[in-house]
Amino acid sequence: MRALPLQILFGAVVLAGAAVTAAAQQPATLVVPQLGEPKTLSPNFASDSLGFAPTSNVYSHLVAIDWGVNKGTGAYGDLAESWTTTEDGKTVTFKLVKNAKWHDGKPVTAHDVKFTFDTIIRKKYPAYVVLKNIKDITVTDDQTVVLNLIDPEIGFVPMLAQVSTWTAKIYPKHLWEGQDGFDTGPLVNAPVGSGPFKFSRWEKGGLVEFDANKDYFRGAPKLDRLVFRQMTDVNVARAEFDSGRLQFLNYEYAPPLAEIPALQRDPKVKVVFTPSHFSRDIQINLKKAPLDNIKVRQAIAHAIDRDTMNKLAFNGLWKPAINASVESQGDLINRDAKFPAFDKARAEKLLDEAGLPRGAGGWRFDVSVTNPNFPDCKAMMEVLVQQLRQVGINAKLEQFDQATWFRRQAEKQFDISCYFTRYGPDPDAFREHFMTGGGRNNMSYSNPEFDALAQKAATLNNKEERRKMYHRIQELIVADLPYINLFNEQKTTLIRTGWSGFNTEPEAFDKAVTWFGYYSVVPPGK
Amino acid sequence: MKRYLLMRVLQLVPVTLVVIVLNFLLVHMAPGDVSIVLAGDSADPAYLATIRERYGLDRPFIEQLWRYLVQVGSGDLGVSFRSREPVFAEIMSRVPATLLLVGTSLGISVVLGTIIGAWIARHPGSALDSGVSALAVALFSIPVFWLGLMLVLLFAVQFQVLPAMGMTSVDGPREGLGRMLDVAQHMVLPVLSLTTVSLGQYIRLSRSAVAEVLGESYITTVRAIGFPERTVLMHYALRNALLPVVTVLGLQLGLVLTGAVLTETVFSWPGLGRLIYDAILARDTPVIMGAFIVMSVTVALASLATDLVYAALDPRVKLA
Repeated sequence: MRALPLQILFGAVVLAGAAVTAAAQQPATLVVPQLGEPKTLSPNFASDSLGFAPTSNVYSHLVAIDWGVNKGTGAYGDLAESWTTTEDGKTVTFKLVKNAKWHDGKPVTAHDVKFTFDTIIRKKYPAYVVLKNIKDITVTDDQTVVLNLIDPEIGFVPMLAQVSTWTAKIYPKHLWEGQDGFDTGPLVNAPVGSGPFKFSRWEKGGLVEFDANKDYFRGAPKLDRLVFRQMTDVNVARAEFDSGRLQFLNYEYAPPLAEIPALQRDPKVKVVFTPSHFSRDIQINLKKAPLDNIKVRQAIAHAIDRDTMNKLAFNGLWKPAINASVESQGDLINRDAKFPAFDKARAEKLLDEAGLPRGAGGWRFDVSVTNPNFPDCKAMMEVLVQQLRQVGINAKLEQFDQATWFRRQAEKQFDISCYFTRYGPDPDAFREHFMTGGGRNNMSYSNPEFDALAQKAATLNNKEERRKMYHRIQELIVADLPYINLFNEQKTTLIRTGWSGFNTEPEAFDKAVTWFGYYSVVPPGK
Repeated sequence: MKRYLLMRVLQLVPVTLVVIVLNFLLVHMAPGDVSIVLAGDSADPAYLATIRERYGLDRPFIEQLWRYLVQVGSGDLGVSFRSREPVFAEIMSRVPATLLLVGTSLGISVVLGTIIGAWIARHPGSALDSGVSALAVALFSIPVFWLGLMLVLLFAVQFQVLPAMGMTSVDGPREGLGRMLDVAQHMVLPVLSLTTVSLGQYIRLSRSAVAEVLGESYITTVRAIGFPERTVLMHYALRNALLPVVTVLGLQLGLVLTGAVLTETVFSWPGLGRLIYDAILARDTPVIMGAFIVMSVTVALASLATDLVYAALDPRVKLA
């Protein structure tokens, strides 16, 4: 290697100023910071959190969902123009838009949808979790695809929209047919989609770049270029934003909430809070003594002071949740079914009654509190441990990296853990979390009445009847306390004034195309 | 000499073998399941099983190790679990960035550090000597990521004269002189922070080596002959004093490819250090193993090079 001459280094300092100004003169480029590199640009064969954003902008979906869940949208059509579900809830017919084209110019047809879903089902790729209810798929003409379900499922379309935001993108059949799966071949890292942006280049370790797709079926995006740039250090990304070189900081780079008031006073910055349809809560392992005792769980619930936790963990900027649901769920929330309120004396009394008096050192029993490596979970659990200790529960905090935490949670190796329960886009989400043997039921909760109700509700077409069932379900949960809801999850985004239409902003709801879509972004002066 | 070289190269085989077995064992013992990392937490158990089968993770440890050894023996480092691309290509695509960053900084530190060290060694105990030595220790003790952040704050935020991150500008030229200049601009801050920290080490090393040599009787002889002090220092003292510097440089050269994970992370530099770091987080065994193999080969080659340089610098050293 040749050593770089010092003159160039010094010359560079002089030239740098000029380059920075030149970059600022291209407002139609949006640079989105990302904490790391996508694994691949083929979203359908593996869960790849850093690939969600790039791939959601290059591929289209049958149906989509975005932060519009906050105003109650369960799903809206992306490639699908409309859809109908038969009365028995077992057949869904999708009509596709006519003018959608692949980036190579070929039309998008119902055959592409069938090919994609068939492959996912055959390979049991991650989206299989939703698609496994499909018995078969028939194509009646180029614009019509019919999904025949095994069991009636009212929440099927919203669930499909939700999973599509991560991993059920529609692939072009004519380009993938020859491949064994979605993880081999030339398109894995050079995608050809039908979305608002076309793949341009991937500089490994640096950035993934997309150009606007002028032929996009919803109309050309207002951005000319979309760049996902790796910025591995949160502080450096913030410095880039503060100095005006970044127009947008997504919630992964959210500043400490203590800095929010200062940012809100800055006229050059928009601070956007967006609630999600997830909560931040704790799961309790019902197989572990003494947590299997309902009195102990009630005592834990009474020991929690959400307002203090909010102040200490979130600078008072989050919304405490006292129901077994979150705000986006509207009238599906049973506001009468509340978790036990903060009452330390009551907590102590319940623990005494449970046969767990204060012993040596004032401790009643030991418990470990775990959390994945999410900043909000960490902040909350630190406070929770202190609140539990105040009623004599000897709580200790344990943290794990994400992979380890997921494994331990699934293997039920935990006492109390921070969790992120999901309530939408369809309330059928309750089954996944609380039904006997449910995929996210790490608590080992099992209540026959819940199981019967949740099974039934998933097949019901009658809205009012369904609502009643979900209200009853929430009553059961707050009585049995397999989990305790603490807060409605909330995302914080920073946007430079003059830019608008980012996916977390209300004007982009139902227009952004997925939670990670940048189609709706409007640069200044456009 | 040829025979010596051949022997040394042949030694690489057992070294690499031990590296492979040890690291394979370590990766295997680490908690976390690669199939869950790959498929996501809500993946279907059947899919997890197909992933384990596909990557051979369902086989006994010894069999996995044997298969890997056979594969490496045939010159194939395998395919990355994450990117589905050949490991060797993946590693090689990151090598230039790391070489450029770490190599430049190492070059500057060695040359500058040796010269400064030799300069202050002329008058041990003088105010200049103690001042620079203290500064060297201070520089040496600065945490490199903190220094990086401070430099960003100063040059990228306050004065806005240098880019804070990455290796190229998004809108920068893609080729030719323009690209070189663009990369050079992006290099300034990371190279500055790496160099600042490693410079101190070379200053201290060369200072003590030169000070020691200056006390030897042959230097007195040279001085008595009447050579100018500059010639005494640069021509007679420094050559002998270089041996410890070469030793340390040799060790560090071997580590050049491990990159500078912290610096690469702060400045989002697309180097090998970050590739390895990401691979470890994702339990991407083929990339981790491939990187370790490449690294152990460089370390071995660097130590070979050090020995050769020794022989050139010091006529007493004979390679047999």
